[in-house]
Amino acid sequence: MNLFTSSILLTLFMLTTPIMASSTNFYKSNKYQHYVKNMTLLAFIISLIPTTMFIHTNQETLISNWHWITIHTLKLSLSFKMDYFSLMFMPVALFITWSIMEFSIWYMHSDPNINQFFKYLLIFLITMLILTTANNLFQLFIGWEGVGIMSFLLIGWWFGRSDANTAALQAILYNRIGDIGFLLSMTWFLSNMNTWDLQQIFMLDQNSSNIPLMGLTPAAAGKSAQFGLHPWLPSAMEGPTPVSALLHSSTMVVAGIFLLIRFYPLMENNKPVQTMVLSLGALTTLFTAICALTQNDIKKIIAFSTSSQLGLMMVTIGLNQPHLAFLHICTHAFFKAMLFLCSGSIIHNLNNEQDIRKMGGLYKILPFTTTALITGCLALTGMPFLTGFYSKDLIIEAATSSYTNAWALLLTLIATSLTAIYSTRIISLTLLEQPRFPPLMSINETNPLLINPIKRLLIGSIFAGFILSNNMPPMTTPLMTMPLHLKLTALMMTILGFILAFEINTYSKNLKYPHPSNATNFSTLLGYFPTIMHRLPPHLVLTMSQKLATSMLDLTWTEAILPKTTAYIQLKASLLTSNQKGLIKLYFLSFLITMTLTLLSFNYLE
Amino acid sequence: MNPFISIMLLSTLVLSTMIVTISSHWLFAWIGLEMNMMAIIPIMMKKPTPRATEASTKYFLTQATASALLMLAIIINLMYSSQWTIMKLFNPTASILMTMALAIKLGLAPFHFWVPEVTQGIPLTTGLILLTWQKLAPISILYQISPSINLHLMITMSFLSILIGGWGGLNQTQLRKIMAYSSIAHMGWMTTILLYNPSLTMLNLLIYIIMTFTMFTLLAQNSTTTTLLLSQTWNTMPIMTTFTMLTLLSMGGLPPLTGFMPKWMIIQELTKNESLLLPTLMAITALLNLYFYMRLAYSTALTLFPSTNNMKMKWQFYPTKQMTLLPTAIVLSTMLLPLTPMFFILL
Repeated sequence: MNLFTSSILLTLFMLTTPIMASSTNFYKSNKYQHYVKNMTLLAFIISLIPTTMFIHTNQETLISNWHWITIHTLKLSLSFKMDYFSLMFMPVALFITWSIMEFSIWYMHSDPNINQFFKYLLIFLITMLILTTANNLFQLFIGWEGVGIMSFLLIGWWFGRSDANTAALQAILYNRIGDIGFLLSMTWFLSNMNTWDLQQIFMLDQNSSNIPLMGLTPAAAGKSAQFGLHPWLPSAMEGPTPVSALLHSSTMVVAGIFLLIRFYPLMENNKPVQTMVLSLGALTTLFTAICALTQNDIKKIIAFSTSSQLGLMMVTIGLNQPHLAFLHICTHAFFKAMLFLCSGSIIHNLNNEQDIRKMGGLYKILPFTTTALITGCLALTGMPFLTGFYSKDLIIEAATSSYTNAWALLLTLIATSLTAIYSTRIISLTLLEQPRFPPLMSINETNPLLINPIKRLLIGSIFAGFILSNNMPPMTTPLMTMPLHLKLTALMMTILGFILAFEINTYSKNLKYPHPSNATNFSTLLGYFPTIMHRLPPHLVLTMSQKLATSMLDLTWTEAILPKTTAYIQLKASLLTSNQKGLIKLYFLSFLITMTLTLLSFNYLE
Repeated sequence: MNPFISIMLLSTLVLSTMIVTISSHWLFAWIGLEMNMMAIIPIMMKKPTPRATEASTKYFLTQATASALLMLAIIINLMYSSQWTIMKLFNPTASILMTMALAIKLGLAPFHFWVPEVTQGIPLTTGLILLTWQKLAPISILYQISPSINLHLMITMSFLSILIGGWGGLNQTQLRKIMAYSSIAHMGWMTTILLYNPSLTMLNLLIYIIMTFTMFTLLAQNSTTTTLLLSQTWNTMPIMTTFTMLTLLSMGGLPPLTGFMPKWMIIQELTKNESLLLPTLMAITALLNLYFYMRLAYSTALTLFPSTNNMKMKWQFYPTKQMTLLPTAIVLSTMLLPLTPMFFILL
């Protein structure tokens, strides 16, 4: 008997307390925000207890307390699976959420509904934790949909802006499309294995079938913005920066990847699905990296960077390395959240300017933010011995030494160098050279509410990789030897990217305005994907359904087929029968013919 | 017409039908039919208009052909059975020929072409005699030879009659032609059930005669021969509009009026003999009949066509024409349905 189960339940319960407090008067006071932030901090600290126990004694727990309902032979209860993945993810998520909450006290300071904002962030956190700790698919789905809904509410926080509303709607729609796959898998599991419990699924599925995994892949693609279901993620930048930092970089978008990681016992035996996931991830990572190259909004560049890293995580799962993907989730959360916080600091200081073409020269003005930004970008590109290195380099090594699809590998490598290129673009356009913003700006970064979160995440960006790799128990045999050129692949690609970026940077010093080439247009317009897919299919579907409803159903089936046809037939028949010439010889002729025919047919048919 | 000649013709008419019904010798039945034809031709020519002449000529030609065919069938039967008794025929050819001859006499399809034209050319009361009394003789012969009639031939002819009676009447505004097509359709219904249960043929015939008699008498009151004239009855005798509507609906076969009774019995009898498609189709095509009856009822009783104000204030005199048996006929043709069990006496 130890503190394991109590700590977990206490963590989860502690986070719901501020929600319950929101119905009291305390909700209206100024202290609510700090209360929420402190609750998250305490939850983080308490969640370290089970994690430490797991690291040291390899203790995993399955908590199943409340039996909700039994439908025929399906038993649904509230059960939490505290294993490798959820135990490592909880502290990371709580740490980052704590930092973001502290940041958003500063960022959303002038917002009248700031308490509601914190409540929403907290509900989001709770649903994310429900998602990660769920032991059955039903609870996971509750968390899944919960994060979707909170994403909608938070993206559309400034709902007076129509772009924000459409972006929120877009997020919900794309997620919903993915949910079709999720529900398909749930149904398949229910009808073939009679359960939604993960343990039973893993035990029963000996020759892992295609259908459930093919259902989970679109679900992951929808939630984690893989190619085909990706446009919602850049549009989601309409929400406030803390929302982008929390949801759309560290926590929510990894839910899809997390789902596929959870199902790794099924995936490790299914080669076709692995190949599919690999190809999808490779395509995503390259495509979004290309799109990130020519964006002008700093948040959109970081959003595409997130999308690219999510593609990389998909590639890892496709290489049958779920634990590496999980490691990348945790490490990526640190530096991506920090990048968003830095961009939030820049945006707020430049009076809500988000276009990098109107920033510049912040190197001397915002020294701390500059440091954090550069460190974050370097960690993102996989600079040796920063955080990103520990996961990204391992992934590239695993990719180059696996017996895998060479095309996917090539795309991943190209995307790695593109990562360096757009990181250089961010750095050079926001921080370096002469300022391009209006001169009367009050820029300062003295507020501890701003500095402390970034400081914490900075320490995390530098050291978390090391700490996590050393404390996570290895679940697969690590790759010990490989040829030198394969070992240095990631580093070489990154350095190549940096060189190219610096080289191209010197081009843009002349005065003549270069008209964008076709390739630039392709990249800026996000590969024409939203332009085509948001207009053509809805138009086709809507016109088809209108035609079906009015022409086919109304005019044809209910009007012309039976009533009008019957009327027409009767009309013609009556004209035919009553149209007599009156010549009796014709009548007698008809009599003769009838009689002859009758006599012949009836006599000889006897 | 001279009353003596009139009495002679009418009595010959009655006598001839009675000869056909009561005779047991084929020759006498044939003679009766010939007398019938001869008697009615002068009656049809009461008013010697070209129309009436044409009608009588057509009637004569068709009926004469039919009698000739009938004689042929009788001779063939004689050849094969060596006896003249009226009973079922002993040769399929004879049976087919006789069936078709009687079909020509009755006006069943595909021998129906003469009925509308003849009916249209003659005055209303003669038309009444043509459509009611003239049917008695052939049906009595059909009744007697019913065991030997070819089923397929009969069903084909009767269903075709119902169809043609329905479709033909849709395009008419002349009331006599409408009644002619209605007679074709009713003949179709009658001959359908002939091979299964001949008593129902008799029942149908009886009800049909009552209803047609009612209809014609109502029409003869105002000498209305077109729909337009019929739509003006509200002006002269308003009560007639109600009666006309009820009788028309009864002819269409709507419960709870009398006309429903034969249709119901026939459908029941057919289903008892396991033919389901035929009564369904018959019932559906009876709707065509009902449609043009409804059209007449609509223009008579349910709407007022636009007319001048002078017409609306017409002085209503007492009727001068003899309304022979009209109240009785109306009651019989609309309220007889509860007395259905009574008709077992026809068995």
